[in-house]
Amino acid sequence: MNVEFDGVEIGPIAGKARVKRSGGRELSPGLLCVVINLPTLVFLALVLAYPIVFAGYLSFHKVAVGNLRSGVYPFIGFENFRRIFADPLFLISLENTLIFTFVAVGTEIVLAVAIALLMSYSTIWTSRVLKMLVLLPFAVPPIANGLIWTFIYSFNFGFLNRVLLSLGLISTPINWIGNPNSALYLLALPYVWRSLPFAILLVHAALQDLNPALYEAAALDGATAWGRFRYITLPLLKPVIVVILVLRTSTAMTVFEEVLAITHGGPGDATWTAAWYSYRQSFAPPFDIGIGSASAYVLGVIIAICAIVYVKLIYRKIG
Amino acid sequence: MACVRSLNRRTLVGSALTAGALAGLPWSASAAEAPWEVRPAADINKLSMVVWSYGNIYSDISAKFKADWGVPVEATVIPFPDQPNKLMTMYAAGDHVDVSQTSPFSMANFVEQDVIEPLDSLPGEKEYLTDFTPLARQANMFNRKLMALPFLSAVWAWNYNTELLDKINREPFRTYDELLDQARKAKRDNVSEFPILWVAGAGTEQLAGTWYQLTWNRGGAFFDKNGKPELGPGSIARETLRWFGKTFADGLSDPGSLKMQQTTSAATFSAGHNLYRGPSQHFGLSIINDPARSSIAGKVKIWGSPGDGKTIGSTHSVFLTTATRNKEWGWKLLQYLGGKTRDGKYTMAETLARTAMFLPGYTSLLNSHAIAEGWKKWCDPQKLLEIMGKATYVGEVCNSIYHSWHLPWSDQLNIEVQKVLIGESDADQCCDRLVTDLKQVQKS
Repeated sequence: MNVEFDGVEIGPIAGKARVKRSGGRELSPGLLCVVINLPTLVFLALVLAYPIVFAGYLSFHKVAVGNLRSGVYPFIGFENFRRIFADPLFLISLENTLIFTFVAVGTEIVLAVAIALLMSYSTIWTSRVLKMLVLLPFAVPPIANGLIWTFIYSFNFGFLNRVLLSLGLISTPINWIGNPNSALYLLALPYVWRSLPFAILLVHAALQDLNPALYEAAALDGATAWGRFRYITLPLLKPVIVVILVLRTSTAMTVFEEVLAITHGGPGDATWTAAWYSYRQSFAPPFDIGIGSASAYVLGVIIAICAIVYVKLIYRKIG
Repeated sequence: MACVRSLNRRTLVGSALTAGALAGLPWSASAAEAPWEVRPAADINKLSMVVWSYGNIYSDISAKFKADWGVPVEATVIPFPDQPNKLMTMYAAGDHVDVSQTSPFSMANFVEQDVIEPLDSLPGEKEYLTDFTPLARQANMFNRKLMALPFLSAVWAWNYNTELLDKINREPFRTYDELLDQARKAKRDNVSEFPILWVAGAGTEQLAGTWYQLTWNRGGAFFDKNGKPELGPGSIARETLRWFGKTFADGLSDPGSLKMQQTTSAATFSAGHNLYRGPSQHFGLSIINDPARSSIAGKVKIWGSPGDGKTIGSTHSVFLTTATRNKEWGWKLLQYLGGKTRDGKYTMAETLARTAMFLPGYTSLLNSHAIAEGWKKWCDPQKLLEIMGKATYVGEVCNSIYHSWHLPWSDQLNIEVQKVLIGESDADQCCDRLVTDLKQVQKS
């Protein structure tokens, strides 16, 4: 005898489950899957797949503003790609993007693990405060975050200089983001501050799942705190760290808001990033959407390669 | 057939005379009216404009337009740096935009992209041309066609803090050597740690504008009449940049200068830490000498450039777009922003001059007593007019602005010049690189 649950007959063979419709006809499981997933698929196709495919199309065409208005885009083959790879500024932007990503993601992971560990110790009173405070930067819009840090870094009236001068740690103000050697690294700080809570939450959630018995056994064996972290916590956190690596690498590579709000790519070309380059090509005169699309595509390919490398080299190894 | 022939011979002549008389009636009526008083024939339910944010001026002028003509105006008001993006996005999306604004540096691009509708032979064009200041004429004519009306003009001038200058017991500089001597003294005497504040943030009017002005004042230019760059070894532009960079290396220039846009630099100078500001667009003084916004209001004066006082000027313009709903009505709205309102007054230009110190693009208004009186709260009007008299349109100094490739090249210029000022590169490397980049942008 088959059992019925919410209109689904659970028979002796699960694969033969059928959905009863009001007319008495049933949908096959395969069809049911399609019906359930269809709205999501349509939505993703519209907001994700269509722009990606269309940007790919545009990258092979001449797309000035007049072309967009008329809807006529002359085909120019790989010309847009040739132009961006011949542009030293694009290559510098890519290099800056990779450095920025390495610094930002690396810092983010180290801090996320450290802060999540601190939060996990419920015996430390600060952990409760931390749990509340850590979410604050997450609530700040990226562009507002950039503006806040602009004020912090300002040479003439900046909060950072004012504090350091007041404490007597410096005698003259420091031109924090006016120095080409440090600007990119200092740009990573606001970005990390904004995106860190997400990584902390992931690590914190993973820490809740760790078996306390492992730690008790290690303690009995005389393992030190560092030893417990090195040989128990860290290996068990590796899957979530890889997830953070993949997610944060892709977002760090598209960093834009902080560049827009704080440096505009300067001083010189010290903080030109790939996303900033695409934006400037597309949305500043001469509004060359074709070039912007081509450069965005190159960045997309690099992000995809990074994600594949992470998954192949690290995630599967862990598995 | 006979009937048709009869119609041709008699009725046609008769009806032509009647039509001519009918058409002549309103024409003869309107002939007595000035062009800005005549209502366009078509009916229209609204007009729209994409403009830079600035106080309430657009809501005020829209209300006046509606009161005068009964047509509402929809204003999309966007901060200055983002306005071209908004305009182009709306244009590309096929939206109607009747009127918009442009800096002189973006105009060539808009012309090339066919966004700007020429204004030649529209009613009143000749009257406006006759009254244009030289700056306005140079900014708004492209290939001998009137493309836009002047919204505001500015000239590059210096500002100095009288209180700090008194402390070092000096008169305003008359040569660049004097400028540096005074800056060194101010630094040495702990009067000002960084005596010179430049408006040298990335931008066509800030960093690039400062270099253009310094070069022009010393007798140089960036291109010759044929468009050949004048950035080679020994050129005035190159040597000026070398000098400019040295003021930073010697610690005489405020390192914060490289982040300064017009308003931020005026606000920073208002803190009273710097001796000189400039050369930059003159209207920053309306902030610096405003008691509500400045701690040194009333203590800052306008000053011309060394030598013969040559300086540069620019005009920002309003134009009719090719995405207008109706050319006649669009022209009508355009005049409310950059020309005369129905009562025959330059309402907007006068408002901008009196409230924000912007120079009007019309000679008759520039010479009016009311404007000079309005400026007195910020500076000596005669001094400002004297500086304006020595101003040349920036397009003469750097004629690449008449080409659409100017902006991508200017992006590179900003990057390379910043590198010189922060000591990462030198004037020779910068200028060589700019010449190379020039070929690339021209090609692409």
